[in-house]
Amino acid sequence: MTRPLPLTVNGRPHSLEDVPDSERLLDTVRWRLGLKGTKEGCRSGDCGACTVLVDGASTLSCLTLTHEVEGSSLTTIEGMSEDPVGRDVQEAFGRAGALQCGYCTPGFVLALVGLLRERGRSASVDELLSDLGGNLCRCTGYLAIVRAVSLLQKEGP
Amino acid sequence: MRSPRPDAREKLEGRTVFGVDLEAPGMLWAALVPSPVAHGRLKSVDLSAARALEGVVAISAADLASLLPGSTGDPDRPVFPSNTVVYRNQPVAAVAAPTLELARAAARAVRVDVEALPTVSDVEEVFPEWPREVPEKSEHIAAHVLAREGDVDEAFRTAETVVRETYRTSSVHQVAIEPHACLADVTEGAWRVRTSTQTPFGTREDVATLLGLPVESVVVDGTWVGGGFGGKGSALLEPYALLLSKASGRPVKLSLRYREEFQLGRTTLPSVVRMETAVSNGRIVARRVRLLLDVGTSLPGRDFTAGYAIAFLLGPYRTPAFEMEGYAVRTNKPPFGAHRAPFAPQCAFVVESHLDHVAREAGLDPVVFRAAHLWKEGDTTPMGQPVGPFGLPTALERARATAARWRADAGPDTGVGVAVGFWSTGTGAGGEARVRLSPGGLEVVQGEREIGSGSVLAGVRAVAARASGLSPQRVTVSYEDTSSAPFDSGVFGSRTTAALGRAVDEAVRALFDDLGRRLGGSGPIRLLEGPGELSVERGAVRATVRELENDSERAGGGIVASGRHYGRSGTIDERKVAAGTFYAYTDFTGAAHAAQVQVDRSTGTVRVLRYSAFQDVGAVIDPATAAAQVEGGVVMGLGTALTEEAMWSEDGRLLNPGLLDYRIPTLGEVPPIAVTFVEGFHGAGPFGAKGLGEPPIIPVAAAVALAVRDATGAHVTELPLSAERVARALKVL
Repeated sequence: MTRPLPLTVNGRPHSLEDVPDSERLLDTVRWRLGLKGTKEGCRSGDCGACTVLVDGASTLSCLTLTHEVEGSSLTTIEGMSEDPVGRDVQEAFGRAGALQCGYCTPGFVLALVGLLRERGRSASVDELLSDLGGNLCRCTGYLAIVRAVSLLQKEGP
Repeated sequence: MRSPRPDAREKLEGRTVFGVDLEAPGMLWAALVPSPVAHGRLKSVDLSAARALEGVVAISAADLASLLPGSTGDPDRPVFPSNTVVYRNQPVAAVAAPTLELARAAARAVRVDVEALPTVSDVEEVFPEWPREVPEKSEHIAAHVLAREGDVDEAFRTAETVVRETYRTSSVHQVAIEPHACLADVTEGAWRVRTSTQTPFGTREDVATLLGLPVESVVVDGTWVGGGFGGKGSALLEPYALLLSKASGRPVKLSLRYREEFQLGRTTLPSVVRMETAVSNGRIVARRVRLLLDVGTSLPGRDFTAGYAIAFLLGPYRTPAFEMEGYAVRTNKPPFGAHRAPFAPQCAFVVESHLDHVAREAGLDPVVFRAAHLWKEGDTTPMGQPVGPFGLPTALERARATAARWRADAGPDTGVGVAVGFWSTGTGAGGEARVRLSPGGLEVVQGEREIGSGSVLAGVRAVAARASGLSPQRVTVSYEDTSSAPFDSGVFGSRTTAALGRAVDEAVRALFDDLGRRLGGSGPIRLLEGPGELSVERGAVRATVRELENDSERAGGGIVASGRHYGRSGTIDERKVAAGTFYAYTDFTGAAHAAQVQVDRSTGTVRVLRYSAFQDVGAVIDPATAAAQVEGGVVMGLGTALTEEAMWSEDGRLLNPGLLDYRIPTLGEVPPIAVTFVEGFHGAGPFGAKGLGEPPIIPVAAAVALAVRDATGAHVTELPLSAERVARALKVL
């Protein structure tokens, strides 16, 4: 048996027992922690539906082994309502109607919050959009998502 | 949260429970055992190594008799094959285990002994002499349709211009980001499954048929759907999960990995189309169409696609003489399935590209030529259907005007394409909805799940609000499973707002009749929203809803009324049918699109610069979600136009079952899209609405192809217009 794996999840400390070396962070989040707002899509890094933040950085949880993030601070969609930037992103997506089925939506929110952390809250709309290209949406055609990002940055702090 | 979408907050906070998220105490995880070949004689399926693993339950064809005593299921569509496998990855067994890892290990432990047989992977393999010769009978023909009008041979003999071409279209997958998933729980004769489906009632019917169960013993409870696009319109995983639950006595979860999603999904398959058109005096005098449509392992006699699709190959155009013949051809692929406006975008690409080419060959303006033949209200279609209110001519005029403006400031290597498509909406079986008026507001009770388009939560809500005069905030839409919900045939065919909405409209009328009887008085009835509880007013008489309720209604949640929508189907002139079944359409709608592209002449890469869609919709019911449907449909169409192509090897292996190799549009590739609704050409939906989910995808590939030709002269006759195909057409490759 491996030693407990410490991980801070949405601000709360956790100690995970018996995590196999091969366990993906996606499966840890969804089935071990029960945080099913993080979605499984392609499971191969192509769609972005499983995006989470690891120490604030946007991360594809399907391509990350849980042991790689030992001791880190993990943020999922369930933690976004307590995050001021997360709330702003959610508001902008809601107002722009930037979702349909909603399956890719948590991944988009997390990816955008990660980008705003990385590039600063005043990053330009174009640079944000160019870095959102790894998140796939099949419903909206992305245009409402583009409008959400524009809305967010126009009315930002 | 302010949003045009009632489901925005829940979805943005990640609280929405989709099929993949389902779990239950004591649940087992399932995995399917795939056939290793695309066609073969099944000699044995040995489950012993899987069953030797602790906690594993494994089943195959040999177990069906004991799991389903007295039932043969559907002999033509056995859940597990017992003799022959007909497509690669066809499930030959299924396993369940306490963990997913163990289930997948157990699936790998099943020994499948199969003797490979020759594989048919391509329709042209079956008919090498096509289009000159097609065998009268072949085990590979699932359906044959033939219709004729006029003296086609004579018209071709005497025409000024005759153009003959062959087109090929690709297989496209729905690519809903959520894979199929369900959770089955069989207890005491109740076969219950929670599943991500576009059709709870249709899935109930499918499950009952496939397992040979009485329909009342099956309960389907739809979850939120992470994208459907036609791919979740019938049962796929449910029978396996239910049988495993029956075998194990435990709830069983089955969800596909994305690779399996590509391999097992039922979707649009490739086609080859021969188009021949005769023109005299600037007018089409005759058309011959030959269609070979790959339908995979769809069953003979059950395949609907050829008779349904082929009339789209005449386009929405007056055609005085025609002969159209179609074959649904069986190959060793999964059965054909619905993909947003199944096969119509491919038909529009063929028709519009061909007529553009015909006009050029005849020295005519391509758009003027097509506009001159376009159906208008009062016309009769080639198959003898009356054309009702039809906004397509208006839409095309507006698209032409947009294209003309774009041409005025066009840059180098750019081109503009204008294309149209038509569709039939308001179809499907009938349906029913209930409304429940309580002091707090109006609740619509119905049996469909929101699949993302907004048609249930926003569309149906908007219909109820408009019919009742209440503000949308006072209206809720709630869902019940198939054991208690009123029947409706599903969220497909652009029917939800138009057909289910009609039932909601009728239910509100019935409610108002009832309120009028309770209230007395005369004149129109109005619901009044104060700051608090609702009241009802008729002339000088007024009462609160609470006062009008009887005791049981007060306890049971309100005054209930129900309304029905009766399925509509059109008629065709059967005298024109020489073979097979042709499907009649109703409530024609149309879309005209303009696309501007830039082509890199050295690589063949196409970039769409701007796009404008004009959509005949009858009446807009919910403006925000309506516009969103058009944007999403256009972008999905750009994938069909430029990149999407599922590819099979000669031995029936899907070569690109992943999102890296099967490319859908990404954020950076999407042009600005202007959406304009053409209203006033009313359909049979509430307030004159026509369906909207599918039509926006139909003209896209055609508009892009015509823009590429306008930019470069390249006449590409295959979908998608990949850089490689465009480069070949430009002779740089």
